[in-house]
Amino acid sequence: MSLVIESKKLRRTGYFPAFLSGSFLAAAFPVVYMMVKAEELTSLSGNPLELLMSANWQMMAMLNILISICGACMMYHTEYADNGMQKMSVLPIRQENLFFSKFVIAALVLSAMVAIETAVLAGCAEYWFPGYVSDLTEILQTAGFQIVVTLPTVMLMLVIASACKNMWVSLGIGVILVFTLSIFPQDNTALSLFPFASPCQTLSGAAANSRTALFLTVCGIETVVFGIGEVLYLKVRRCLA
Amino acid sequence: MSFVSLIGVELKKIRRSKILLILLIPVIMMWIPGIINADMNFDLRGIPITPENNFFIQGFMGMVWFMIPASLVICTVLLNQTERADNGILKMLSLPVSTTRLCLAKFTVLLMLAAVQMILSIGAYYICAAIAANTQNYNFVLEPLYVCKIVCGLYAAAIPMAAVYWAISTVIPSPIFSVGIGLASIVPSVLMINTKIWFVYPMSYPFYLLMVAYGRAAEGVYETQIAWLTWLPAAVGITILALVISCIRFGASERRSKQ
Repeated sequence: MSLVIESKKLRRTGYFPAFLSGSFLAAAFPVVYMMVKAEELTSLSGNPLELLMSANWQMMAMLNILISICGACMMYHTEYADNGMQKMSVLPIRQENLFFSKFVIAALVLSAMVAIETAVLAGCAEYWFPGYVSDLTEILQTAGFQIVVTLPTVMLMLVIASACKNMWVSLGIGVILVFTLSIFPQDNTALSLFPFASPCQTLSGAAANSRTALFLTVCGIETVVFGIGEVLYLKVRRCLA
Repeated sequence: MSFVSLIGVELKKIRRSKILLILLIPVIMMWIPGIINADMNFDLRGIPITPENNFFIQGFMGMVWFMIPASLVICTVLLNQTERADNGILKMLSLPVSTTRLCLAKFTVLLMLAAVQMILSIGAYYICAAIAANTQNYNFVLEPLYVCKIVCGLYAAAIPMAAVYWAISTVIPSPIFSVGIGLASIVPSVLMINTKIWFVYPMSYPFYLLMVAYGRAAEGVYETQIAWLTWLPAAVGITILALVISCIRFGASERRSKQ
């Protein structure tokens, strides 16, 4: 029920078209890359999908993070802009439900985005690498891993957006966090587990260091912890208000 | 109202916005890895550059690539959204003030905010260079004239980009699209800088200037001459076009929706 309401709120904001165009833009990176310098990759040995991921995923993940930040800010901007939040809080609806249905929508949209991107990556691998036959389990595993490592970022960004009344403050905090984690060295394992840095990890990179399980568990825990944090925050805010 | 007092009004509107804090934090953040890894500046990996130049350019690299464009996008959101809340913009548009001048006053405020961030970054550079100099017993501090010249250049190169972002935010009323396009346009600038047509892409201008400074400080890393002849006409053209579009379209969606 609340999922329907939340998606109706987003209908006129351009939320869904923005994610769709964002995913097509991100999917254009490997296509353009292969059109310009295909020989560089096809001459290398290795799994074509992994090669394509290592060449393009940094930028694609960056786009995913930035679009998720925009989306989270937009979701709460519609609530705060015309005092919609006050009207929602007098209705017999729990504030937590509001937040979690927003999170479910954001997670679903993110999954669709990553799915489009991995599908295009697999398509590129099949088109440019002769003899490569795409393997559905491999594609699904890659997409699943990338979705799970991006979820903490989506959750944390929604928590930030729900706490800040003004859109530029939540956008500013999100952008500063992306910037901060992008200037620190990327080879540090502890830092790469942080939200805003973990989406840049690739499945093959994690598997090479046998850290796949570590990433999946830590990112899962982070997502749950941020969710609990939001529930506590809402309780505190209600007591203080 | 005179143009100066219009700017004064715009500055008053953003007085409580905490924007200075948002501009200050990344400026401090960008030097923290530099201070922690200050000893890395001596490991030059065969690039002929002095450690103090390396410290300066590596610190500013993240700033010009990501933070200058992102700050401009945040500032355009600020300038637009403070007015959209409670329909402040409708009241402004109903006053006998030319919308073109209103639009240009807001753009001037955007440039002033960018200038503040540049001044903060120079200050942060000197503080952090002094800290790194103390911990490493090596003089990381460059002469002020050189630093100011580079930073002023970066600022001037950011003006066309600011005009484009301002035009995007006035033409597209939906914040998710204007912000999304703004942030998404940052990502390809790393690719554009290596192509021959970088000068048609305003988001890569500050990055280009810093790369030229890098090329001058370290032989053979990048070009050492700025291609003024192709760049200047393109930059001026893009700036004027973007400003004209934003002046024409300023307030258009508000006027239409209330008729």
